[in-house]
Amino acid sequence: MTSIDVHELTKEYGTRRAVDHLTFRVHPGRVTGFLGPNGAGKSTTMRLLLGLARPTAGSATLGGRPYATLREPLRHVGALLDAEAAHGSRTGRDHLRALATSNRIPSRRVDEVLAETGIDSVARHRVKTYSLGMRQRLGIAAALLGDPEVVVLDEPSNGLDPEGIVWIRGLLRRLAGEGRTVLVSSHLMNETASYADHLVVLGRGRLLVDTPMREFIDARVRPVVRIRTTDAPALRKLLAQHGHDGVEHEDGHWTVEHARVDDIGRLVSTAGVPILELATQEGTLEQAYLDLTGTEAEFTAQPQEA
Amino acid sequence: MPFTAVLHSEWSKIRTLRSLLCALGAVLLATVAFTALGGSDSDSSDFDPLYSVFLGVVFGQIAAIAFGATAMSAEFRGAALRGSLAAVPLRGRWFAAKTAAIATPVLVVGLAAGAASLVVGKSVLGAKADTLTPVEQWRGVVGCAVYLTLMALLAAGLTAVLRSGAATLGILIPFLLIVSFVVGDVSGSAADVLPDKAGQVVFHESWDGALGPWTGLAVTALWTLTALCAGAWSVRRRDA
Repeated sequence: MTSIDVHELTKEYGTRRAVDHLTFRVHPGRVTGFLGPNGAGKSTTMRLLLGLARPTAGSATLGGRPYATLREPLRHVGALLDAEAAHGSRTGRDHLRALATSNRIPSRRVDEVLAETGIDSVARHRVKTYSLGMRQRLGIAAALLGDPEVVVLDEPSNGLDPEGIVWIRGLLRRLAGEGRTVLVSSHLMNETASYADHLVVLGRGRLLVDTPMREFIDARVRPVVRIRTTDAPALRKLLAQHGHDGVEHEDGHWTVEHARVDDIGRLVSTAGVPILELATQEGTLEQAYLDLTGTEAEFTAQPQEA
Repeated sequence: MPFTAVLHSEWSKIRTLRSLLCALGAVLLATVAFTALGGSDSDSSDFDPLYSVFLGVVFGQIAAIAFGATAMSAEFRGAALRGSLAAVPLRGRWFAAKTAAIATPVLVVGLAAGAASLVVGKSVLGAKADTLTPVEQWRGVVGCAVYLTLMALLAAGLTAVLRSGAATLGILIPFLLIVSFVVGDVSGSAADVLPDKAGQVVFHESWDGALGPWTGLAVTALWTLTALCAGAWSVRRRDA
């Protein structure tokens, strides 16, 4: 299968280094979330990967080959870089047909991806009449056109309605399940958490994190035990007696850090403290990401590069 | 990827934009209409029946330039070029296909416009057109097609350099309408080798400059080739 290999990739615009000695590999069969603040170099890396921009140094290859050497590249790599790639006065169908023709993809595929992305009903309308969400779906349809083994999507959930967001989640999981290599950039943490298996995080063009998502969260955020009770004084007393550091929150729930739900459960049940809710609260990607941004100098404010 | 697939794709991009089809229609319409209107003014001393018959080309070229500029500039709107080059990463091949897809329809429409201009122009001039030899008439029709194609490609090449259709039209149209009209009658100067002046010798029965009908077109072709090479270089070199 085809993996994406980025090796010592560097891109300078004048004196600004947009991508700085970046090295990572994206493996097939899983969804890799590509994270970082605006201007971190995510889009630039994707453009370098597709041969649209020339690297200052280093290389980005797909299955060991530079993109530009692929014959009929749409059959190998599908990319969504920008929802504004289609001409507003052309119909969605004509846009896809022109792309398909150049790579000798049968026009049957055009109708298939239109149906798959749910825009078949507007396929014969001009793109300028589309909503942002529909343009996004058209861009995803273009990426899927050649049934590629590598899928690269830049902010695919941009402009999608809630239904669309659920759909893209399922689509990404399915593509990875089929053994494809899937790289998806985003700055929506909850969204990324819902589909990513692996994370690559950039800050100011440098690689900060390249690790499975669960590991990233667990390393940075400890789970806490969440409790709700009708007898707050009794709970406070009990936790204090056993050396736990309970915190009462405004809406009446409590959290206990450095504790296991099994221990706390036995404790309150033996003491007879009335319990409405008892659960482990897992760390979220957002918490882990914010923890990272708090510790890395790469996240300090910087001018944005589109 | 075979060139024919890329060419086919580029032609389908042109075919599916209504504005481009309108521009092609305007080439035909403007050429024939202005020949019909202008041909009646045939009493001046330097009357040239061949130029009268193909007078409309001067106006048809505006539409041809608009077509060439618009067809190329569609790639520089938004992120269109990224999409195109992701599909066809061989940029030189892509640019060649784009150029061919622009040239072919203008050539065909130019032939039709030339032929229609000849028929309309001759009927407007009546007996005054009798001096035109068959060779001159053929030269006019073929010259019309070649000249319009070269002007469309000049605009396309310039658009690829400037990355903007508006900028190209902003340069070329004032150039054709003002510079050429102002220096128009000054013969034997540097104005003779301007792309439009040089190419339009092909529509004259007699000429007094150094350039003849075909050498004149060759000079226009040189201008066009320069613009296309600069455009190709720009597309190949620059980041998309």
